[in-house]
Amino acid sequence: MRDQHIFVSVFEEGRSVLQNNANKSHLHGAEKKPKQTILYDRHIGLTDKSHIVSFAGYLMPLWYSSIAGEHTAVREAAGIFDCTHMGVFEISGVGAAEFIDQLTTNSITSLKIKHAQYSFILDASGSVLDDVIVYRKGRDEFILIVNAANNTKIKNWMNALFNNEICVDPEHTDRKVSGRPKVRDLRVADCNHDCRVDIALQGPKSLDVLFALIQGKETQSEITDLRPFQFMETDIENIMCLVSRTGYTGAEIGFELFVQPEKASQLWETILQAGKPQGLLPCGLGSRDSLRIEAGLPLYGHELAGKFSISPFEAGYGWAVKLEKDFFVGKVAMERISRKYDTKVARVELPGTKGTRPVRQDDGVLDEHGRSIGWVLSSAIIGEKQIALVYGDGESLEKNDTVGTYYLARSRSQIQQGRKPNIEKGELLEPDLTGKVVSRFAKF
Amino acid sequence: MAVEGLLYTKDHEWARIDAGIATIGITDYAQQMLGELVFVELPAIGKEFAGYDELAVVESTKATSDIYSPVAGKVIEVNCKLESQPELINQDCYNAGWICKMQITDMKSIENLMDLKQYEEYVGGL
Repeated sequence: MRDQHIFVSVFEEGRSVLQNNANKSHLHGAEKKPKQTILYDRHIGLTDKSHIVSFAGYLMPLWYSSIAGEHTAVREAAGIFDCTHMGVFEISGVGAAEFIDQLTTNSITSLKIKHAQYSFILDASGSVLDDVIVYRKGRDEFILIVNAANNTKIKNWMNALFNNEICVDPEHTDRKVSGRPKVRDLRVADCNHDCRVDIALQGPKSLDVLFALIQGKETQSEITDLRPFQFMETDIENIMCLVSRTGYTGAEIGFELFVQPEKASQLWETILQAGKPQGLLPCGLGSRDSLRIEAGLPLYGHELAGKFSISPFEAGYGWAVKLEKDFFVGKVAMERISRKYDTKVARVELPGTKGTRPVRQDDGVLDEHGRSIGWVLSSAIIGEKQIALVYGDGESLEKNDTVGTYYLARSRSQIQQGRKPNIEKGELLEPDLTGKVVSRFAKF
Repeated sequence: MAVEGLLYTKDHEWARIDAGIATIGITDYAQQMLGELVFVELPAIGKEFAGYDELAVVESTKATSDIYSPVAGKVIEVNCKLESQPELINQDCYNAGWICKMQITDMKSIENLMDLKQYEEYVGGL
């Protein structure tokens, strides 16, 4: 998949960061010229241009001040994230609920109005096409948030389902997905005032930041009462917003604000100013990555799908796949996988004091006897430790199990020194770092 | 910011040449691009390098980069402080953040390096 190596732009591989000229096109990922998000001008005012990289086809800041500082701000105060690149679809009209119930793995029947749910879109073979959040605004009125990198793919997928162009059930090849709701891409200008883009406000002080902007006591208490995955619509300083208690940082308190694109800059600036006294910082892709890794949340292409074709069950999200439903695309495969899977994603804590070489994607994961049992998917340095999300043999990745990691060679000279450039499962190796498996997810 | 009196490479290394010895480090542009450094792999003392050989590796929270030898020479001293304080490169890349010193074995190898003005022009064009 073309977009896959774009995720890597969060971790710039090899020399690309410094050998700027020759590799600029590599650094900036896709062949297509990356687009600017609607907040691009804001970013240019807040950080050096050299810190802006291409991510999922958009130019986004890797950091504004520092990754560690922005990470800490979200854990201790608040942070604001440009998520305006995320895909936003409205699915509405007769048959909308019916359609989404077949399109996604989670249960639409149990999704109440003004509630949201995490879910998956699969193909008939059970491959994950995307992980999504479905917002229910009415009986047959939904908003679907998809990953920026998968925006076009999901749009095409929904069209293919409508046109019966693809097999949706290998066991009943004549099966069709029912329901023909209207789908609108809410990031496209012709949706006019219905257009919406996503700005995330995350961290313990995020409620205080909103309170500084919303004076009405009633609205304040309504926001306070929002439970995780509930949302409401309200004005923030005269800017119409859908305020949702969701996020991608593991912060107990955090919101996503869906706003008209032409008001996005104004909202961004308003929140930045209101949050300043509370310690709020604008946060880039780097801290977004370290926060979600610390929380154990998957990134499509890394902890879901990707080169290991990781399923929702292996990723720790079997609960979002409702096998009791009559039908959804990919159900047959999910039934099979749910019965038996030997590999899974685990969260591992490793030493990470200054001067410790960081573990990276594809480094080896070893059991306590030094046997290679899997690979690192993502990793982050957080204070004096490293958190890695790894993939490997489930029975060696239970909570509190001791695991080791092995650094793959990342340069010619390291290969010359005897370091392996790749490893096979089952190989016996000396661990470079030793740590342990911790809980699959963490809340902050 | 780059400084007067040093020689520079297109890969953003600098060399301070004094009596046949080159002190080597990475430029401010490089450390800014890399962000917070967390690990430096230093070369072995006594090892010889041709110009543009992989000399060291620096890793930040989000990036890994090879450091190439700006000169042909033999490593005579390394900045051991970087093993526990890689952030010295972020804080003071032209002084306390030096990486190693090399006895230059081929003075011709410094001929292609840029001076401050040339390097600033080069960076300005990136």
